[in-house]
Amino acid sequence: MNKNNIWIHLGVAVTLIGMAAIIGQVRNWQTEISNQRVNKTIRKVQKPIAVKRTLSESEPEVLVKFRSDVKLSEIKRIAAKNNDRVEDEIESVQNLVSIDDLDNLDATQVAKMYGSMTDLVEYAEPNYVINLEQEIDEVKDSSDVIADDISLFDDKASAPNDPMFNEQWALNNEGQNGGKAKAHLDALKAWLKTKGSEDVVVAVLDTGVDYTHKDLINNIWLRPENVPAYVDDEIGAIDDKRGFNADANSGDPMDQNGHGTHCAGIIGAEGNNEIGIAGVNWNVQIMPLKFLGRGGFGSTKNAIEAINYAIDRKKAGVNIRVINASWGSTQYSKALEDAIRAAGEQGILFIAAAGNSSTDNDSRPHYPSNFDLPNVISVAALDRNDEMASFSNFGAKTVHIAAPGKDILSSWLNNGFREASGTSMATPQVVGVAALIVANNPKIKVESLRKKLLNSVDKLDSLEGKVENGGRVNAAKALSE
Amino acid sequence: MSFNQETSTQKAKQDLAERLGIGEEDIETSSIVEKEFSDMSLGATVGDEMAAQMISNGWSINLNADGKNYEYRGDKYQLRLVDFDGANYMIKSY
Repeated sequence: MNKNNIWIHLGVAVTLIGMAAIIGQVRNWQTEISNQRVNKTIRKVQKPIAVKRTLSESEPEVLVKFRSDVKLSEIKRIAAKNNDRVEDEIESVQNLVSIDDLDNLDATQVAKMYGSMTDLVEYAEPNYVINLEQEIDEVKDSSDVIADDISLFDDKASAPNDPMFNEQWALNNEGQNGGKAKAHLDALKAWLKTKGSEDVVVAVLDTGVDYTHKDLINNIWLRPENVPAYVDDEIGAIDDKRGFNADANSGDPMDQNGHGTHCAGIIGAEGNNEIGIAGVNWNVQIMPLKFLGRGGFGSTKNAIEAINYAIDRKKAGVNIRVINASWGSTQYSKALEDAIRAAGEQGILFIAAAGNSSTDNDSRPHYPSNFDLPNVISVAALDRNDEMASFSNFGAKTVHIAAPGKDILSSWLNNGFREASGTSMATPQVVGVAALIVANNPKIKVESLRKKLLNSVDKLDSLEGKVENGGRVNAAKALSE
Repeated sequence: MSFNQETSTQKAKQDLAERLGIGEEDIETSSIVEKEFSDMSLGATVGDEMAAQMISNGWSINLNADGKNYEYRGDKYQLRLVDFDGANYMIKSY
């Protein structure tokens, strides 16, 4: 090597070191900006306005699906002729409207009246609303919430440092507390492949989510700047910074019950952050959609509005891949079925709780889990011994998969954590695994995603004849090629 | 505002008296039992209402009038009448 070459090599080396230093500084700046964004988000949390509503003032009474050739102007004319008012259009389902009966007649009667117009109407059903009066509490000041640095995960470390992780038998069951070893999702093995992705958005359609919770805050969806604010035809523009509240028609989906926060934690409590628990996904975007009030119950119409919102956001470019539905009843609604079908057409999987009445869904259907749609999965609950939970509904033809759902630890209001039981808790386990699959295979289609979840289970004797595929969800198997 | 067992029982008696057209003094409280219910509607959904599917704590209030039993279910957010002539009713919610 001659002297000239040495100088050239030295020059190249100095240049490379300089570039590395600049890149390092740029990364520091990015991290700082990112942290500032998180902190700024916390300070900007708005308190929702106290709202009082009464049934007759604000809630529509019937959902009517007019035939596709009937124009909106004609629908409004028909409503006016009957002294009714078109209260809202459900955009995701063509010609589905909610109608407010100004005479305050019985909703069933009004639905019958519209249903009898068979040349114009496909179906009509009452939209029963139960809240006589509802008040919304102020959200507690969140300025004391600590925003931890967004973690950069070490791919070699499969066990997270979250202090309560050992109590999360659903993720890693080593037989603790009288459980059966390996009666779990096998999360540790799954996390060797992926711990989730912030590119995957999962909607939690529920009582809202406490988006200030210290174990969730970094995994809450924030509307990107390039996605315009949500505009509802009737309500107008809504600043949907963190999701949607169909119960109050606002952009503030703060949870006042705890149930939605619990489901969100199971799916995506931040992992390896030395706080509380780990979600099935350490890293994901949870989109809070609120339609259940503080008591944990709500109207079908508001559920549809929230699904409609998710569809709109998907069309606007938000990568919503799964909706968690930890709720239900035995009442069938064609309008709800249509809205979920429309979500499927946009590539959104809808995973729903099978119900907690210990009954057979094949003979006594539970909705929305019983909708026979290609994007719906119905979930039963298991205990820590891989036995079906005593409360869980079942159905050899209509319940598709089982997941841990008894004594499940997750996040709760006021930065808390608690155990809860129900098919509500089993559903987000499956949703979490679905999100991992998408993180691992971002282009997977909804049909393949559903198939992958259902075909990668651990078969259990306890589920034979009770669940269609006779198995418990297994995250590690679902991620294997 | 929220319910407790005492205020729920008062409200339940008042509701039942109105429904049956009798005086509250003609209604007896048979029992008030703390219970786990199947969901957040306390296992008594109304109409096409949807309820969170989490096992929930509340209380079952059993009232007796004219030798017949009537069950109300409540927690701090709600009071419901169960299976009255074949239907459930929401009496009040907060």
